[in-house]
Amino acid sequence: MSVAAKFSQIGKPLPRREDRRFLLGKGRYLDDIVPPGVAQVCFLRAPHAHARIVGIDSTAACALPGVIGVFTGRDLAEWTTPLRLAPPIEGLHPVEMTTLPIDKVRFHGDPVAVVVARDRYVAEDAVDLIEVAYEPLPCVADTASALAPGAARVDESLPDNLVSHQSFSAGDLAARRAEAARVIETTFDLQRHTHVPLETRGCMADWDEGREHLTMQIGTQVPHPLRGQLAGRLGLSESQVTVISPDVGGAFGQKIALYREELAVAALSRHLGQPLHWREDRAENLMAASHARETRCVTRAAVRGDGRILGLELELVEDFGAYCFYPANYMARVIAMILTGPYRIADYSFDVKVVLTNKCGNGPMRAPMAITSWVMDGTLDAVARELGLDAVEVRRINALGPGDLPYTMATGEVLADITSRETLEGAVSAIDISAFRARQARARDEGRLVGLGLCTVVESTTYGSQFYKAAGIPGSGHEAAWVRIEPSGAVNASVGLMGTGQGYETPLAQAVAEGLGVSAETVTVHMGHTDIAPYGMGSRGARGATAGGGTLYLCARKAQEKVLAIAAGMLSLNDARGLRLRDGHVERRLDDDWQPTGLGLKDIAQRAYLDPTALPDKVAPGLDVSLTYDPPPMTYSNATHACEVEIDKFTGRIDIRRYLVAEDCGTVINPLVVEGQQHGAVAMGLSGALFEQVIYDETGQNLSATLADYLVATATELPKVEIIPMHTPNRSTPAGIKGMAEGGIMGAIGVIANAVNDALAPLGVTATRMPLSPQYIRALVREADENQERTGEA
Amino acid sequence: MLNMRLAQPEHLIDLNDLIELDRVIDHGEWVEVGALTRHHRVATAPEIRQGVPLLADAAATIGHYAIRQRGTLGGSLVQADPAAQLPLVAVTLGADVMVRSRRGRRTVAAAEFLRAIMSVDLAGDELVTGVCFPRQPDGERWAFDLFSRRHGDFAIVAVALTLQLDDAGAIVALRLGVGGVGPVPMRLTAVEQRAVGLVPDGDTILDLARNAAAAITPEDDPLVPAKYRRDLVETLTARALRRVTADWPEVTT
Amino acid sequence: MTAPVTLSLAVNGAVHEVTVPPRKLLSDVLREDLGLTGTHVGCEHGVCGACTILIDGQPARACLTFAVQMEGHDLTTIEAVSEGDRLSPLQQALHQVHGLQCGFCTPGIIMTVTAYLRDHPDPDEVEIRDLLSGNLCRCTGYQNIVKAVIRAAAEIRARAPA
Repeated sequence: MSVAAKFSQIGKPLPRREDRRFLLGKGRYLDDIVPPGVAQVCFLRAPHAHARIVGIDSTAACALPGVIGVFTGRDLAEWTTPLRLAPPIEGLHPVEMTTLPIDKVRFHGDPVAVVVARDRYVAEDAVDLIEVAYEPLPCVADTASALAPGAARVDESLPDNLVSHQSFSAGDLAARRAEAARVIETTFDLQRHTHVPLETRGCMADWDEGREHLTMQIGTQVPHPLRGQLAGRLGLSESQVTVISPDVGGAFGQKIALYREELAVAALSRHLGQPLHWREDRAENLMAASHARETRCVTRAAVRGDGRILGLELELVEDFGAYCFYPANYMARVIAMILTGPYRIADYSFDVKVVLTNKCGNGPMRAPMAITSWVMDGTLDAVARELGLDAVEVRRINALGPGDLPYTMATGEVLADITSRETLEGAVSAIDISAFRARQARARDEGRLVGLGLCTVVESTTYGSQFYKAAGIPGSGHEAAWVRIEPSGAVNASVGLMGTGQGYETPLAQAVAEGLGVSAETVTVHMGHTDIAPYGMGSRGARGATAGGGTLYLCARKAQEKVLAIAAGMLSLNDARGLRLRDGHVERRLDDDWQPTGLGLKDIAQRAYLDPTALPDKVAPGLDVSLTYDPPPMTYSNATHACEVEIDKFTGRIDIRRYLVAEDCGTVINPLVVEGQQHGAVAMGLSGALFEQVIYDETGQNLSATLADYLVATATELPKVEIIPMHTPNRSTPAGIKGMAEGGIMGAIGVIANAVNDALAPLGVTATRMPLSPQYIRALVREADENQERTGEA
Repeated sequence: MLNMRLAQPEHLIDLNDLIELDRVIDHGEWVEVGALTRHHRVATAPEIRQGVPLLADAAATIGHYAIRQRGTLGGSLVQADPAAQLPLVAVTLGADVMVRSRRGRRTVAAAEFLRAIMSVDLAGDELVTGVCFPRQPDGERWAFDLFSRRHGDFAIVAVALTLQLDDAGAIVALRLGVGGVGPVPMRLTAVEQRAVGLVPDGDTILDLARNAAAAITPEDDPLVPAKYRRDLVETLTARALRRVTADWPEVTT
Repeated sequence: MTAPVTLSLAVNGAVHEVTVPPRKLLSDVLREDLGLTGTHVGCEHGVCGACTILIDGQPARACLTFAVQMEGHDLTTIEAVSEGDRLSPLQQALHQVHGLQCGFCTPGIIMTVTAYLRDHPDPDEVEIRDLLSGNLCRCTGYQNIVKAVIRAAAEIRARAPA
């Protein structure tokens, strides 16, 4: 661990400081801080996938005792402006949506009307009493029907349902196909997921009529961007809105956008002049919060006889649902941009279609590019299978090695400081492939299906502003921080991130402590309050460590410089050269050794705040330092997952026998927290690959609106994950941090599919879609049996 | 049901405090289990483990630990989920459901009590007070098995069976019940009859399991094709038969 | 049916009188009427386990129970698990091995496991995973929760008088 050696605070496995309040039942999640008596909000949701709203009669609902009011899209349109997404991006249609639907509903669960009542029970009673007349419209429940000529249009302002279409080509694919021994086509169908944070969405809006100020308490990943949205759509200035995020019970990407319900609650608080609280129930969360994934990819690899990929073509179609809370190209585009990842493929093209359907709108879910590594490594496995080659050798012949770096991908993205070749070898050796192959051969002789999968991940963790610009995605990648040493020497700091369970309070304190030269215990990091935190882009992707931790680290270093400048004055030195702050004490380098000076941070702080005339020239009073930072265009971490499975061919059940991850995520700020993220990401990836599925029938009815229908893996379904740390620092980021927390999902989805297909290989069938349910696997086995019978008869 | 507003009854009567219905009484030929006996107690009570071990084994597979602390035998029977464990065992063992109202008491066979999906033979003024399970004879072997997507979920298919062998190892009596394949759990009597007199070796087991799969007529649903349920019945039946024959632990008496 | 009724509830060793509609869920009464917000509501249909409390010492879903059913029963919530500020062995182990992330499911897990360890002091990993399968956690992947339960069980055994 040479990386950690040069740090004193970074790299320590400190248990998290937020734990105490959570363990005692004293966390402050939104519902825990709503004062008694606050009126409650509840939404009426559409029972149809696609229908005109002909009329809404709320007479009976309004007459119910305890009901404060019933409001519709038409009412809200008076108090809010629509969301218009029209970034100047080629191939992407501009779209607009009102706060609540006015003329028609576009998916089962679309909010139609909103009730304000004295409590939640009465509000739900009132919702049942609202009469809505609908005129059902034909619905498009999948991309094929949405793209068919004459299909019903989800968004009638667009010419058709193809909301975004982008393509790209580098090199000469036709020439590569001509040279190739084979062109191998492979399909990957990743089903519709949803995030399922244990705490559903909710908010409390409080309009202060006297100050003309809105306080919005809401669990959010992005306090400042959310404030901007709220202010803009309510016609307020940003100084009239404060967003405060209390403790958040998980988000996973679901708590980034300003949703229509939240805006409605804020607008109604202002309209009614009273605080309002909304908490969605689980059915609403599963049906109408945000969905994700549902992407189909087809690759065509032009290959040499030895498995070397000469050219690669990708066709991607994403089912985006009915509404765009994000630019529709955002998630799909990233997949296409980074697909080739750990492999050397210069001739590459993509065609990416994003399609509107009558389903809940898509958004980013932890690893929005989740499918990427399955598609890439699954393509390599298909090449190996088709050509009868060893899957590891096919990876090796295509892999980027240390000598290839920095490597400019066909899409123009630059990979540097990654070790995907090393983690591949690390995983291959840890899992002991030759011993496995021997076991597998014996098992096959007994008619058992065992398989081994590998999946190498190059995870795009931290998007710098330049990446967004180059990729044609609107957004900034910067982050902002302040570090304030109080007169007592206590250290407060803040950053624009907002944690939703990761445990930022401890590792970010470690980043500050490292940069400043104090112990982490003395640092408190404040997040989630827009009047306190600086304007940053919040928590999304895996930017927390590199953008958040990196900005705090740099800011704290800047603070240390000021501390040392003051110390130099107090020590009657000309400048701060040869001084450092360590554990809150100023040390001086004398004869290659660091000696105490007797000065502590408190002495410096007292001087800075309370005796400013004694400060050196050009040193301003106080110890209040801020800094903004834009990370490199893209920071990557990497990992190789390996997994051994056995399939019960009679029931189709997949049993994971062993699971390991060899990972390089750069400098690790807190190994305990990183391990937690590794476990959690693998778990979410496996849960998605094996169980989760948002189900719509052909009429657009959502059939998975309970947790008994939307299946999330429990403790009995998940394996123990072995982790092999192979961290190396990034040379372009603060402290060498790379970031992580999404790659585990990419790897898990890919590796389980690859392992299953290795197990199924003797049967000559391949799983191409998820979830890998026992029904599906059993159907593949049956298909193989039937094929065999047919061949036998012939 | 209530939380999702699928049912909005005028009146709701809490039976939980009728603690006299939380009881297990060994009557010798049969074991009476009160309607309010929690699954955890059904799974662990010595009278049940000894007298009706199939019931105890089945109850141990219900839901999760916390669920087994609250869920009751009567609740499970009256809810009549087609894939639930306890109705399946009641039907397989030929248990009697005891019903009481101000009009009097009556007893109805479990197979008749369970009428259709989530529908039972119970009038508005009636209450299930308990279930009488016939004691499993000495020397009888039993197996309960189910297949679900996740541990603790309702089964896709569940199989309950008991088996008696004669000294020569031939089948004297087989009771075979399956759940999750129709509106109510059912005994596969044709398979049971076919089994009598056979020696349950590998081929016989396979033949009986295939017959079990052929004897059911499940319907396709959006997630589970009928074929899959049939496959599961075959596999679970074969495995359960193996468990009570080749894999049955030798007990020295 | 919705006229409020007055009941007395024994929670964490104290008796509280509350006046609530009969249809009000125990989870809501604990949180809103008694201010015991450590019991979380994650699904309101008994699947997620976040609202698990102890009824007469046994784990149960507070979201599947009406408060009016609880007269004469003894309720225990997360707020009574620690001795004042001193974390219980399970709470301490969860902290040390990073067995929680967002913390929303944690009270339900602590209640379930606390009751189980009282009756089963030396569970193995399979048994622990089986136990935990009734509580959803979306953050941790359960691995460190399992580790914490093993550690807590050992600590409790070590503390018990021989």
